[in-house]
Amino acid sequence: MISGGRVRNKSVILEARDIRLAVELVELGARLQLLEAETKLSRERLLKLYKEVRGVSPPKGMLPFSTDWFMTWQPNIHASLFMAYYRFLGKHTGLTGLEQIIKAYRMYLEQVKRGNMDTVLSLTRAWTMVRFFDANMLQMATCHECGGEFVAHAYDPTKGYVCGLCHMPARAGKTRRAAAAAA
Amino acid sequence: MKSTDTYNDIKEVNLSYLMLAQSMVRADRAGAVFKLGISEEIADILDRLTPGQILKMSSSDMLLCNFRFDDTLLLNLLANHERERGVGHVHAAILAAGKAVEAVA
Repeated sequence: MISGGRVRNKSVILEARDIRLAVELVELGARLQLLEAETKLSRERLLKLYKEVRGVSPPKGMLPFSTDWFMTWQPNIHASLFMAYYRFLGKHTGLTGLEQIIKAYRMYLEQVKRGNMDTVLSLTRAWTMVRFFDANMLQMATCHECGGEFVAHAYDPTKGYVCGLCHMPARAGKTRRAAAAAA
Repeated sequence: MKSTDTYNDIKEVNLSYLMLAQSMVRADRAGAVFKLGISEEIADILDRLTPGQILKMSSSDMLLCNFRFDDTLLLNLLANHERERGVGHVHAAILAAGKAVEAVA
């Protein structure tokens, strides 16, 4: 790797692989930052690709950088479901890295769709979360009632932890939209 | 129920199970490993079974698929109708993912 430009032109096959990967990621809702981190394609090409696939320009602005989002009730359930798949695949299949994330995310989407729920966790969030785990900012906490593992802040005490599914908050799932749908 | 009926039913279930498991493994290996609760090694075996082998295996007088949920909580989550179905299934999936898979000894 001498200069960025030369590396980019090195292999047509690698570039084709990256384009295929980028298209798949954009279709799953990936943000531009994710594409830049995971492929060797230039920003201009990614922009063009994004517009071609989605028909609109990618959203601007920074990626979410707080781990707090994963702690509120609904996001925590969704994040924990994704992590359950992600960790299962890591333990029992040969998938690694981005492939592991994409597969876990597809399994997550499938489950959410079957349960008629909203897709709360975006691919970009899922990808960010895996990076938070790698950076030891998040950990899995074991619920002492059901034994399931749930996303929690790193270094939080996990003794006596009870998950949001064993002890649902009284107002959980009672959104304005749910009320409107029932009416 | 007569014993010949039971035997035929078992055969039928075995055949359906093996055919379903094989097509699941062939279509989506990683997903099948989770849904079937088997190791990749068993997935490989299933993938390679010939139709003849599947037929021979299914005519055994014991069921080839195992009862997977030795956990009352998981069982309740899947069988319970009171809760919102989607949430119960999500909880079940989280617990199931933490379980060991069947592997060849």
